[in-house]
Amino acid sequence: MPSSFIGISESIVKIRELIEHVADTGLNVVITGESGVGKEVVAQNLYHKSHRKNKPFIKVNCAALPEGLLESELYGFEQGAFTGAQRKKRGKFELANKGVLFLDEIGDMSLALQSKLLHVLQSGEFFPLGSEKEVKTDAWVLASTNQDLEQNVKKGLFREDLYYRLNIIQIYIPPLRNRPEDIPLLIDYYIEKYVSKFHRKKLNKPSSETLGRLISYHWPGNVREIQNIIKRCLIVGNWEEVIDEIFANKKPVDNTTKAIPALDEASIIDDFIDFKGENSPNHASFSLKKVKKKVLDRIEKEVISHVLGQTGWNRTKAAKILKISYKTLLYKISDLNIEPPHYSR
Amino acid sequence: MDKKLKLLIIDDNHEMLAALYNFFSKKNYDVVTTPDSLHALKLIEAEKQEFDLVITDLVMPNISGVGIISIIKKKNPGTPVIAITGWGEHPEALATEAKADLVLEKPFRLPELDKLINDLLSPKKH
Repeated sequence: MPSSFIGISESIVKIRELIEHVADTGLNVVITGESGVGKEVVAQNLYHKSHRKNKPFIKVNCAALPEGLLESELYGFEQGAFTGAQRKKRGKFELANKGVLFLDEIGDMSLALQSKLLHVLQSGEFFPLGSEKEVKTDAWVLASTNQDLEQNVKKGLFREDLYYRLNIIQIYIPPLRNRPEDIPLLIDYYIEKYVSKFHRKKLNKPSSETLGRLISYHWPGNVREIQNIIKRCLIVGNWEEVIDEIFANKKPVDNTTKAIPALDEASIIDDFIDFKGENSPNHASFSLKKVKKKVLDRIEKEVISHVLGQTGWNRTKAAKILKISYKTLLYKISDLNIEPPHYSR
Repeated sequence: MDKKLKLLIIDDNHEMLAALYNFFSKKNYDVVTTPDSLHALKLIEAEKQEFDLVITDLVMPNISGVGIISIIKKKNPGTPVIAITGWGEHPEALATEAKADLVLEKPFRLPELDKLINDLLSPKKH
Protein backbone atom coordinates (compact mmCIF):
# COMPACT_ATOMS: atom_id res chain seq x y z
CA MET A 1 0.00 0.00 0.00
CA PRO A 2 1.24 3.54 -0.65
CA SER A 3 1.96 6.01 2.14
CA SER A 4 -1.22 7.67 3.34
CA PHE A 5 -1.75 11.22 2.19
CA ILE A 6 -1.93 12.79 5.64
CA GLY A 7 -3.67 16.05 6.52
CA ILE A 8 -6.85 17.74 7.71
CA SER A 9 -6.38 21.05 5.92
CA GLU A 10 -9.02 21.96 3.36
CA SER A 11 -6.61 21.54 0.45
CA ILE A 12 -5.48 18.06 1.49
CA VAL A 13 -9.06 16.89 2.13
CA LYS A 14 -9.98 18.13 -1.33
CA ILE A 15 -7.00 16.36 -2.94
CA ARG A 16 -8.01 13.06 -1.29
CA GLU A 17 -11.52 13.56 -2.64
CA LEU A 18 -10.18 14.39 -6.10
CA ILE A 19 -8.04 11.22 -6.08
CA GLU A 20 -11.14 9.12 -5.28
CA HIS A 21 -13.09 10.63 -8.16
CA VAL A 22 -10.46 10.65 -10.92
CA ALA A 23 -8.37 7.54 -10.20
CA ASP A 24 -10.39 5.38 -12.54
CA THR A 25 -10.74 7.81 -15.42
CA GLY A 26 -7.33 7.11 -16.99
CA LEU A 27 -7.06 10.85 -17.83
CA ASN A 28 -3.60 12.45 -17.82
CA VAL A 29 -2.68 14.07 -14.51
CA VAL A 30 -0.13 16.71 -13.58
CA ILE A 31 0.80 16.92 -9.91
CA THR A 32 2.50 20.16 -8.89
CA GLY A 33 3.92 21.62 -5.71
CA GLU A 34 7.23 22.41 -4.06
CA SER A 35 9.81 19.70 -3.48
CA GLY A 36 8.99 17.37 -0.63
CA VAL A 37 5.23 18.03 -0.50
CA GLY A 38 4.36 14.46 -1.51
CA LYS A 39 3.77 14.50 -5.26
CA GLU A 40 4.84 10.88 -5.60
CA VAL A 41 2.56 9.90 -2.71
CA VAL A 42 -0.36 11.38 -4.65
CA ALA A 43 0.72 9.48 -7.79
CA GLN A 44 0.95 6.23 -5.79
CA ASN A 45 -2.49 6.85 -4.26
CA LEU A 46 -4.01 7.46 -7.70
CA TYR A 47 -2.46 4.21 -8.92
CA HIS A 48 -3.65 2.17 -5.95
CA LYS A 49 -7.22 3.50 -6.25
CA SER A 50 -7.35 2.69 -9.97
CA HIS A 51 -8.10 -0.60 -11.70
CA ARG A 52 -4.44 -0.59 -12.80
CA LYS A 53 -3.19 -1.28 -9.27
CA ASN A 54 -2.02 -4.81 -10.04
CA LYS A 55 -0.10 -3.69 -13.13
CA PRO A 56 3.33 -2.00 -13.13
CA PHE A 57 4.00 1.44 -11.65
CA ILE A 58 7.09 2.74 -13.41
CA LYS A 59 8.80 5.94 -12.31
CA VAL A 60 11.18 7.93 -14.47
CA ASN A 61 12.99 10.99 -13.14
CA CYS A 62 13.27 13.28 -16.17
CA ALA A 63 15.83 15.53 -14.41
CA ALA A 64 18.30 12.80 -13.51
CA LEU A 65 19.25 11.75 -17.02
CA PRO A 66 20.67 13.63 -20.01
CA GLU A 67 18.43 13.82 -23.09
CA GLY A 68 19.80 10.84 -25.03
CA LEU A 69 19.73 8.52 -22.06
CA LEU A 70 16.24 9.64 -21.04
CA GLU A 71 15.01 8.96 -24.58
CA SER A 72 16.38 5.42 -24.54
CA GLU A 73 14.99 4.87 -21.02
CA LEU A 74 11.50 5.96 -22.10
CA TYR A 75 11.29 4.34 -25.51
CA GLY A 76 13.90 1.57 -25.45
CA PHE A 77 16.18 0.60 -28.30
CA GLU A 78 16.97 -2.16 -30.74
CA GLN A 79 20.24 -4.07 -30.72
CA GLY A 80 22.81 -2.01 -32.64
CA ALA A 81 20.70 1.18 -32.56
CA PHE A 82 23.81 3.08 -31.43
CA THR A 83 27.36 2.34 -30.31
CA GLY A 84 27.14 0.29 -27.15
CA ALA A 85 23.58 -0.94 -27.74
CA GLN A 86 24.64 -4.56 -27.55
CA ARG A 87 21.18 -5.91 -26.87
CA LYS A 88 17.60 -4.80 -27.27
CA LYS A 89 16.16 -2.90 -24.32
CA ARG A 90 12.49 -2.30 -23.67
CA GLY A 91 11.54 1.26 -22.77
CA LYS A 92 9.58 2.39 -19.73
CA PHE A 93 6.54 3.20 -21.91
CA GLU A 94 6.44 -0.44 -22.93
CA LEU A 95 7.10 -1.72 -19.40
CA ALA A 96 4.31 0.49 -18.03
CA ASN A 97 1.77 -0.88 -20.54
CA LYS A 98 -1.65 -1.29 -18.80
CA GLY A 99 -0.10 0.28 -15.70
CA VAL A 100 1.21 3.71 -14.75
CA LEU A 101 4.14 5.72 -16.07
CA PHE A 102 5.08 8.38 -13.51
CA LEU A 103 7.15 11.11 -15.15
CA ASP A 104 8.78 12.93 -12.27
CA GLU A 105 10.26 16.39 -12.91
CA ILE A 106 8.54 16.71 -16.31
CA GLY A 107 9.49 20.41 -16.35
CA ASP A 108 13.11 19.38 -16.96
CA MET A 109 12.36 17.46 -20.16
CA SER A 110 13.97 18.92 -23.30
CA LEU A 111 11.76 20.34 -26.07
CA ALA A 112 12.81 17.53 -28.43
CA LEU A 113 11.66 14.85 -25.98
CA GLN A 114 8.51 16.83 -25.20
CA SER A 115 7.59 16.60 -28.85
CA LYS A 116 8.13 12.82 -28.84
CA LEU A 117 6.07 12.51 -25.65
CA LEU A 118 3.25 14.52 -27.24
CA HIS A 119 3.19 12.06 -30.14
CA VAL A 120 2.87 9.08 -27.79
CA LEU A 121 0.08 10.77 -25.82
CA GLN A 122 -1.79 11.54 -29.02
CA SER A 123 -1.37 8.21 -30.75
CA GLY A 124 -0.54 5.70 -28.00
CA GLU A 125 2.34 4.53 -30.21
CA PHE A 126 6.08 5.10 -30.43
CA PHE A 127 9.21 3.88 -32.21
CA PRO A 128 11.97 2.43 -30.01
CA LEU A 129 15.38 3.87 -31.08
CA GLY A 130 16.63 2.13 -34.18
CA SER A 131 13.34 0.31 -34.75
CA GLU A 132 11.05 0.56 -37.74
CA LYS A 133 8.19 -1.09 -35.94
CA GLU A 134 5.83 1.04 -33.89
CA VAL A 135 4.99 -0.20 -30.40
CA LYS A 136 1.56 0.41 -28.87
CA THR A 137 1.28 1.45 -25.24
CA ASP A 138 -1.63 1.90 -22.87
CA ALA A 139 0.31 3.50 -20.02
CA TRP A 140 -1.55 5.93 -17.78
CA VAL A 141 0.70 8.98 -17.67
CA LEU A 142 1.00 10.84 -14.37
CA ALA A 143 3.48 13.70 -14.44
CA SER A 144 4.85 15.87 -11.67
CA THR A 145 6.92 18.99 -11.37
CA ASN A 146 7.94 21.66 -8.89
CA GLN A 147 8.17 24.18 -11.72
CA ASP A 148 5.47 26.55 -12.94
CA LEU A 149 4.69 24.91 -16.28
CA GLU A 150 2.44 27.78 -17.34
CA GLN A 151 5.38 30.17 -16.97
CA ASN A 152 7.61 27.69 -18.79
CA VAL A 153 5.11 27.71 -21.68
CA LYS A 154 5.29 31.53 -21.79
CA LYS A 155 9.10 31.40 -21.79
CA GLY A 156 9.10 28.86 -24.62
CA LEU A 157 10.58 26.12 -22.42
CA PHE A 158 7.53 23.89 -22.44
CA ARG A 159 5.29 23.04 -25.40
CA GLU A 160 1.85 24.60 -25.09
CA ASP A 161 0.08 21.69 -26.80
CA LEU A 162 1.76 19.20 -24.43
CA TYR A 163 0.88 21.41 -21.45
CA TYR A 164 -2.82 21.25 -22.26
CA ARG A 165 -2.75 17.56 -23.13
CA LEU A 166 -1.12 16.66 -19.81
CA ASN A 167 -3.16 19.07 -17.70
CA ILE A 168 -6.49 17.27 -18.02
CA ILE A 169 -6.44 16.80 -14.26
CA GLN A 170 -4.25 19.10 -12.16
CA ILE A 171 -3.46 18.42 -8.54
CA TYR A 172 -1.62 21.20 -6.71
CA ILE A 173 -0.25 20.35 -3.28
CA PRO A 174 0.34 23.53 -1.24
CA PRO A 175 3.56 23.89 0.78
CA LEU A 176 3.43 22.84 4.41
CA ARG A 177 3.90 26.42 5.70
CA ASN A 178 0.49 27.29 4.19
CA ARG A 179 -1.27 24.46 6.05
CA PRO A 180 0.22 24.40 9.57
CA GLU A 181 -2.78 22.43 10.86
CA ASP A 182 -1.35 19.36 9.09
CA ILE A 183 2.01 19.51 10.91
CA PRO A 184 1.00 17.79 14.21
CA LEU A 185 -0.70 14.95 12.30
CA LEU A 186 2.31 14.42 10.07
CA ILE A 187 4.63 14.38 13.09
CA ASP A 188 2.48 11.78 14.87
CA TYR A 189 2.22 9.68 11.73
CA TYR A 190 5.96 9.59 11.04
CA ILE A 191 6.91 9.01 14.70
CA GLU A 192 4.69 5.95 14.71
CA LYS A 193 5.93 4.79 11.32
CA TYR A 194 9.66 5.14 12.07
CA VAL A 195 9.48 3.90 15.66
CA SER A 196 7.91 0.68 14.42
CA LYS A 197 10.43 0.47 11.56
CA PHE A 198 13.49 1.03 13.76
CA HIS A 199 12.03 -0.95 16.62
CA ARG A 200 14.97 -0.60 18.93
CA LYS A 201 14.64 3.19 18.97
CA LYS A 202 12.29 5.25 21.11
CA LEU A 203 11.05 8.80 20.65
CA ASN A 204 8.46 10.56 22.76
CA LYS A 205 5.97 12.87 21.15
CA PRO A 206 7.17 16.49 21.21
CA SER A 207 6.10 18.60 24.20
CA SER A 208 3.51 21.30 23.51
CA GLU A 209 6.27 23.94 23.55
CA THR A 210 8.35 21.96 21.04
CA LEU A 211 5.27 21.34 18.90
CA GLY A 212 4.60 25.09 18.90
CA ARG A 213 8.11 25.71 17.57
CA LEU A 214 7.66 23.02 14.93
CA ILE A 215 4.36 24.55 13.80
CA SER A 216 5.93 28.00 13.53
CA TYR A 217 8.89 26.70 11.46
CA HIS A 218 8.66 27.49 7.73
CA TRP A 219 9.47 23.95 6.50
CA PRO A 220 11.29 24.75 3.25
CA GLY A 221 11.76 21.02 2.66
CA ASN A 222 8.07 20.31 3.36
CA VAL A 223 6.95 16.79 4.39
CA ARG A 224 10.28 15.26 3.37
CA GLU A 225 11.94 17.55 5.90
CA ILE A 226 9.55 16.36 8.65
CA GLN A 227 10.54 12.78 7.79
CA ASN A 228 14.24 13.61 7.94
CA ILE A 229 13.92 15.53 11.19
CA ILE A 230 12.08 12.66 12.86
CA LYS A 231 14.69 10.17 11.66
CA ARG A 232 17.39 12.40 13.14
CA CYS A 233 15.48 12.82 16.39
CA LEU A 234 15.31 9.01 16.60
CA ILE A 235 19.09 8.82 16.24
CA VAL A 236 19.82 11.70 18.62
CA GLY A 237 17.12 10.54 21.05
CA ASN A 238 15.48 13.92 21.70
CA TRP A 239 13.79 16.79 19.87
CA GLU A 240 15.45 19.83 21.36
CA GLU A 241 18.94 19.36 19.94
CA VAL A 242 17.66 18.80 16.40
CA ILE A 243 15.17 21.66 16.55
CA ASP A 244 17.75 24.14 17.88
CA GLU A 245 19.90 23.15 14.95
CA ILE A 246 17.20 23.67 12.31
CA PHE A 247 16.28 27.07 13.73
CA ALA A 248 19.97 28.01 13.77
CA ASN A 249 20.52 26.83 10.18
CA LYS A 250 17.14 27.76 8.69
CA LYS A 251 17.97 25.30 5.98
CA PRO A 252 16.03 22.16 5.18
CA VAL A 253 17.43 19.03 6.74
CA ASP A 254 18.95 17.15 3.87
CA ASN A 255 18.87 13.43 4.30
CA THR A 256 21.56 12.72 1.76
CA THR A 257 24.47 14.13 3.73
CA LYS A 258 23.26 13.15 7.18
CA ALA A 259 22.21 9.58 6.63
CA ILE A 260 25.56 7.84 7.09
CA PRO A 261 25.60 8.26 10.90
CA ALA A 262 22.32 6.31 10.88
CA LEU A 263 24.28 3.26 9.89
CA ASP A 264 24.81 2.16 13.44
CA GLU A 265 24.40 -1.50 14.29
CA ALA A 266 20.73 -1.32 15.22
CA SER A 267 19.59 0.43 12.10
CA ILE A 268 21.74 -1.78 9.87
CA ILE A 269 19.92 -4.77 11.26
CA ASP A 270 16.57 -3.00 10.97
CA ASP A 271 17.19 -1.82 7.44
CA PHE A 272 18.93 -4.75 5.90
CA ILE A 273 17.80 -7.83 7.74
CA ASP A 274 14.40 -7.03 9.25
CA PHE A 275 13.78 -10.16 11.25
CA LYS A 276 10.13 -10.41 10.17
CA GLY A 277 9.96 -9.75 6.41
CA GLU A 278 11.34 -11.55 3.39
CA ASN A 279 14.86 -10.35 4.24
CA SER A 280 14.79 -12.46 7.36
CA PRO A 281 17.42 -15.22 7.68
CA ASN A 282 14.49 -17.60 8.11
CA HIS A 283 13.09 -16.66 4.72
CA ALA A 284 13.94 -18.91 1.78
CA SER A 285 15.21 -16.02 -0.37
CA PHE A 286 17.70 -14.82 2.31
CA SER A 287 21.36 -14.85 1.39
CA LEU A 288 24.47 -13.09 2.60
CA LYS A 289 25.15 -12.03 -0.99
CA LYS A 290 21.79 -10.22 -1.18
CA VAL A 291 22.37 -8.44 2.13
CA LYS A 292 25.86 -7.45 0.98
CA LYS A 293 24.47 -5.99 -2.26
CA LYS A 294 21.84 -3.99 -0.36
CA VAL A 295 24.45 -2.58 2.04
CA LEU A 296 26.84 -1.71 -0.78
CA ASP A 297 24.06 -0.05 -2.78
CA ARG A 298 23.14 2.04 0.22
CA ILE A 299 26.74 3.12 0.87
CA GLU A 300 27.29 3.82 -2.83
CA LYS A 301 24.14 5.91 -2.92
CA GLU A 302 25.22 7.97 0.09
CA VAL A 303 28.75 8.53 -1.22
CA ILE A 304 27.61 9.47 -4.73
CA SER A 305 24.91 11.79 -3.32
CA HIS A 306 27.50 13.43 -1.09
CA VAL A 307 29.96 14.01 -3.93
CA LEU A 308 27.19 15.27 -6.23
CA GLY A 309 26.13 17.63 -3.44
CA GLN A 310 29.71 18.93 -3.16
CA THR A 311 30.01 19.51 -6.91
CA GLY A 312 26.59 21.17 -7.12
CA TRP A 313 25.40 18.21 -9.22
CA ASN A 314 28.13 18.75 -11.79
CA ARG A 315 28.26 15.14 -12.95
CA THR A 316 31.50 15.46 -14.92
CA LYS A 317 33.35 16.73 -11.82
CA ALA A 318 31.65 14.13 -9.62
CA ALA A 319 32.68 11.29 -11.96
CA LYS A 320 36.31 12.50 -11.80
CA ILE A 321 36.30 12.63 -7.99
CA LEU A 322 34.69 9.20 -7.76
CA LYS A 323 37.09 7.86 -10.40
CA ILE A 324 34.32 6.25 -12.41
CA SER A 325 33.26 6.98 -15.98
CA TYR A 326 30.61 9.61 -16.67
CA LYS A 327 28.39 6.88 -18.15
CA THR A 328 28.73 4.70 -15.04
CA LEU A 329 27.83 7.68 -12.86
CA LEU A 330 24.67 8.35 -14.90
CA TYR A 331 23.76 4.68 -14.68
CA LYS A 332 24.25 4.68 -10.91
CA ILE A 333 22.19 7.88 -10.47
CA SER A 334 19.34 6.17 -12.29
CA ASP A 335 19.80 2.69 -10.80
CA LEU A 336 20.16 3.88 -7.20
CA ASN A 337 17.41 6.47 -7.69
CA ILE A 338 19.60 9.38 -6.54
CA GLU A 339 17.68 12.64 -6.68
CA PRO A 340 18.95 16.21 -6.75
CA PRO A 341 18.52 18.19 -3.49
CA HIS A 342 15.22 19.81 -4.41
CA TYR A 343 15.32 22.73 -2.00
CA SER A 344 18.12 24.42 -3.88
CA ARG A 345 16.13 24.56 -7.12
CA MET B 1 -47.07 21.24 -19.16
CA ASP B 2 -43.72 19.87 -20.37
CA LYS B 3 -41.07 18.99 -17.82
CA LYS B 4 -38.31 21.63 -17.74
CA LEU B 5 -35.07 20.57 -19.40
CA LYS B 6 -32.13 20.49 -17.01
CA LEU B 7 -28.82 22.25 -17.77
CA LEU B 8 -25.56 21.94 -15.87
CA ILE B 9 -23.23 24.91 -16.35
CA ILE B 10 -19.60 24.78 -15.13
CA ASP B 11 -17.30 27.82 -15.23
CA ASP B 12 -14.78 29.04 -12.66
CA ASN B 13 -15.57 32.63 -13.69
CA HIS B 14 -18.38 33.66 -11.31
CA GLU B 15 -19.58 36.57 -13.47
CA MET B 16 -19.92 34.33 -16.50
CA LEU B 17 -21.71 31.74 -14.41
CA ALA B 18 -24.19 34.33 -13.03
CA ALA B 19 -24.90 35.71 -16.51
CA LEU B 20 -25.58 32.23 -17.91
CA TYR B 21 -27.75 31.33 -14.91
CA ASN B 22 -29.88 34.49 -15.22
CA PHE B 23 -30.33 34.14 -18.96
CA PHE B 24 -31.24 30.44 -19.09
CA SER B 25 -33.42 30.44 -15.95
CA LYS B 26 -35.64 33.00 -17.71
CA LYS B 27 -35.72 30.76 -20.79
CA ASN B 28 -37.57 28.16 -18.76
CA TYR B 29 -34.66 25.77 -18.17
CA ASP B 30 -33.94 24.13 -14.85
CA VAL B 31 -30.37 25.51 -14.40
CA VAL B 32 -27.72 24.10 -12.05
CA THR B 33 -24.42 26.02 -11.92
CA THR B 34 -21.10 25.42 -10.22
CA PRO B 35 -17.68 27.11 -10.39
CA ASP B 36 -16.00 23.98 -9.04
CA SER B 37 -15.24 21.16 -11.47
CA LEU B 38 -14.96 18.53 -8.70
CA HIS B 39 -18.43 19.51 -7.47
CA ALA B 40 -19.63 19.27 -11.07
CA LEU B 41 -18.20 15.76 -11.33
CA LYS B 42 -20.05 14.74 -8.16
CA LEU B 43 -23.31 16.09 -9.64
CA ILE B 44 -22.69 14.15 -12.86
CA GLU B 45 -21.90 10.96 -10.93
CA ALA B 46 -24.97 11.23 -8.66
CA GLU B 47 -27.40 8.49 -9.63
CA LYS B 48 -30.50 10.67 -9.63
CA GLN B 49 -28.95 13.62 -11.47
CA GLU B 50 -29.67 13.42 -15.14
CA PHE B 51 -28.76 16.52 -17.09
CA ASP B 52 -30.23 17.10 -20.53
CA LEU B 53 -27.23 19.20 -21.55
CA VAL B 54 -23.95 20.33 -20.03
CA ILE B 55 -22.07 23.57 -20.75
CA THR B 56 -18.49 23.65 -19.52
CA ASP B 57 -15.58 26.04 -19.56
CA LEU B 58 -12.36 24.31 -20.65
CA VAL B 59 -9.51 25.76 -18.60
CA MET B 60 -10.31 25.29 -14.90
CA PRO B 61 -8.35 24.15 -11.84
CA ASN B 62 -8.44 20.49 -10.69
CA ILE B 63 -10.49 18.87 -13.46
CA SER B 64 -10.30 20.65 -16.79
CA GLY B 65 -13.33 20.96 -19.07
CA VAL B 66 -11.72 18.38 -21.34
CA GLY B 67 -11.67 16.01 -18.36
CA ILE B 68 -15.33 16.73 -17.61
CA ILE B 69 -16.31 16.12 -21.25
CA SER B 70 -14.38 12.81 -21.36
CA ILE B 71 -16.04 11.60 -18.16
CA ILE B 72 -19.57 12.57 -19.32
CA LYS B 73 -19.13 11.00 -22.73
CA LYS B 74 -17.95 7.76 -21.11
CA LYS B 75 -20.84 7.67 -18.62
CA ASN B 76 -23.68 9.07 -20.74
CA PRO B 77 -22.55 9.31 -24.38
CA GLY B 78 -25.95 10.69 -25.35
CA THR B 79 -25.74 13.80 -23.14
CA PRO B 80 -24.87 16.79 -25.33
CA VAL B 81 -21.95 18.91 -24.13
CA ILE B 82 -21.03 22.42 -25.23
CA ALA B 83 -17.49 23.62 -24.48
CA ILE B 84 -16.94 27.35 -24.08
CA THR B 85 -13.41 28.70 -24.11
CA GLY B 86 -11.26 31.72 -24.54
CA TRP B 87 -7.95 29.90 -24.47
CA GLY B 88 -7.20 29.31 -28.12
CA GLU B 89 -6.67 26.36 -30.38
CA HIS B 90 -5.16 23.69 -28.12
CA PRO B 91 -7.96 23.34 -25.55
CA GLU B 92 -10.48 23.56 -28.41
CA ALA B 93 -8.82 20.71 -30.31
CA LEU B 94 -8.73 18.58 -27.15
CA ALA B 95 -12.43 19.29 -26.47
CA THR B 96 -13.31 18.14 -29.99
CA GLU B 97 -11.14 15.04 -29.53
CA ALA B 98 -13.04 14.33 -26.27
CA LYS B 99 -16.23 14.42 -28.38
CA ALA B 100 -17.74 17.74 -27.25
CA ASP B 101 -20.82 18.32 -29.41
CA LEU B 102 -19.93 21.97 -29.90
CA VAL B 103 -16.99 24.22 -29.08
CA LEU B 104 -17.87 27.88 -28.73
CA GLU B 105 -15.26 30.61 -28.46
CA LYS B 106 -15.65 33.40 -25.91
CA PRO B 107 -16.92 36.06 -26.28
CA PHE B 108 -20.26 34.90 -27.69
CA ARG B 109 -23.79 36.28 -27.59
CA LEU B 110 -26.21 34.55 -25.23
CA PRO B 111 -29.01 34.25 -27.85
CA GLU B 112 -26.47 32.49 -30.09
CA LEU B 113 -25.75 29.93 -27.36
CA ASP B 114 -29.50 29.60 -26.74
CA LYS B 115 -30.06 28.73 -30.39
CA LEU B 116 -27.27 26.13 -30.34
CA ILE B 117 -28.78 24.54 -27.21
CA ASN B 118 -32.17 24.49 -28.87
CA ASP B 119 -30.75 22.73 -31.91
CA LEU B 120 -28.97 20.12 -29.79
CA LEU B 121 -32.03 19.51 -27.62
CA SER B 122 -34.67 19.64 -30.35
CA PRO B 123 -35.11 15.82 -30.52
CA LYS B 124 -35.92 15.88 -26.77
CA LYS B 125 -38.44 18.69 -27.18
CA HIS B 126 -40.43 17.06 -29.93
